[in-house]
Amino acid sequence: MIPATTNKRRNIKELKEFVCYVFPAVLLITVFVSIPFLMCIYNSFRKWNGISKTTKFIGLKNYRKLFTDDPTFLHALGFTFLYAVCVVIIINITALLLAVLLESNIKGKGFFRAAFYIPNIISLVVIGFIWKFICIRVFDQLAVITNDPFWQQSWLGDPNLAVVTTIFVSVWQGLGFYLIIYIAGLQSVPGDLMEAARIDGAGTFRRFFSVTLPMIMPSISFCMFYSVANSMKMFELIFSLTGGGPGVATTPIALDIYNTAFNNNNFGYGSAKSVVLFIIVCTISVIQVRFFKSREIEA
Amino acid sequence: MTLKQEKQIPTVIFVLMLFIVFLYMLPLVIMILNSVKNYDEIMKNVLALPEHLSFKNFAVVFKDMNYPLTFFNTFVVTLTGTVGIVIFGSMAGYKMARVKTRYSQLSFLYCITPMMVPFQSFMITLVVIAKKFHLTNNVPGLGIIYWGLGIPMALFLYQGFAKTIPYELEESAIMEGCSQPRLFLQIIFPLLKSVTASVIVVNAMWIWNDFLLPLLVVGGSKEKKTLQLAAYSFMGQYKSEWQNIMAAAILIIIPALIIYLIFQKNIIKGLVAGAVKG
Repeated sequence: MIPATTNKRRNIKELKEFVCYVFPAVLLITVFVSIPFLMCIYNSFRKWNGISKTTKFIGLKNYRKLFTDDPTFLHALGFTFLYAVCVVIIINITALLLAVLLESNIKGKGFFRAAFYIPNIISLVVIGFIWKFICIRVFDQLAVITNDPFWQQSWLGDPNLAVVTTIFVSVWQGLGFYLIIYIAGLQSVPGDLMEAARIDGAGTFRRFFSVTLPMIMPSISFCMFYSVANSMKMFELIFSLTGGGPGVATTPIALDIYNTAFNNNNFGYGSAKSVVLFIIVCTISVIQVRFFKSREIEA
Repeated sequence: MTLKQEKQIPTVIFVLMLFIVFLYMLPLVIMILNSVKNYDEIMKNVLALPEHLSFKNFAVVFKDMNYPLTFFNTFVVTLTGTVGIVIFGSMAGYKMARVKTRYSQLSFLYCITPMMVPFQSFMITLVVIAKKFHLTNNVPGLGIIYWGLGIPMALFLYQGFAKTIPYELEESAIMEGCSQPRLFLQIIFPLLKSVTASVIVVNAMWIWNDFLLPLLVVGGSKEKKTLQLAAYSFMGQYKSEWQNIMAAAILIIIPALIIYLIFQKNIIKGLVAGAVKG
């Protein structure tokens, strides 16, 4: 603790020091995050093609158009929610299940953990291309070998199946990350607590739901938080796997923003979409924090 | 359940996990197998083992993607970005943990809030601003933009760790006449080493694999491309020559894989530290 001092000169010196250490970080964040973000809000009320020097104030016109006259955006909104809900549920349940299996004292735990994490270190663009190859060529080959109509379907060409594919690949790619967090959570559950529950006659499932689950609530809330935020802003994987297609079937909000601003040169309108994305992500985060804070217990 | 049966359970799970991991890794195995085939083989059967190993695909990729240059660009961006994030993040995080005044708390809050803001919600104007500062079409410039994006998380981790360092250490150093910059460089920074390792690995992997920001900032220029951008245009160009695409994928994965294998422990530690404190 810093001793309280009434010496004014010393206070000023400390303030100077503080500013020296903190200023670069604050400046960088201001220039590359805060100002762009505020400018985005400002531009969302204006008409601007990104090139011309003049922009025109058009009030809420951009926002009105978003919700009344833009089927692509509304579809992107729906797709993003569907995608996020599916990915979040599947990825968290699978990762938790695998973590429990891995924590049951089996051999080669380190190897399994490392293997599951590998897709996480590959860039999403490359993942997209690998799976494109698998969906197009490998499934074709499997169809020839097995003659099963399951493989003959167009996994990237059919709008509904393309959604399933993007969800599946996202889960495959992200799983290892959540697995590691859940393993760390499980390791922090005290062994004597489990032993006590066992002696009291609690079965395997009862122990899991009544002891383990409440104890790893911090890990669960982090994973939920992270997976929701990540799926709401998914861009790169879809960009290289389906390109948002067929049509706009797999276009998420982030890709729609990109297309609006950089392909159609509609910066003002794209900014309005950005603001909507921010509001959605922020609202969900706040709800989540409230929800999980009330459920966490102090270990 | 008898004791013998209970002992068998881990073996059953082990075999089951082995099977799951095999299926899980299958896409990557298929990628490796097809990267050494030639065009005819890949058209005939993508699931067959390669008849003879040919590394011609890698040569094509190496030349077409201009691998040495794009590798160098990516390296510069990653290095610039990571070094800046570590320096500014540790300085601010340390001071914010030490000074316990209102303005210190407020600035801490201001600095970590960006973690909640999705990148896509301000990327449009970020590009406009980057252009004003001549940071577009500029490889180190791209690294500098990462400073602003990466500092919040790094600062958060540093602040959390610096709080646990006892103040007596600094007190006695100051008593002995140690200056502030020296105190930070020679005493504090080495103590933060475990956080620094995590921050370096997590940020280096992120910047190395990032695609969207490079696309927006240096995407227009051929000589400034990063590996991910080069991969994207290369793979788009060789639409049906999958053997080349698979070879390119491997060449891009290898550097990240090496970093991962060396720093595996730090990655896991970093993730867990971030998760527990977040």
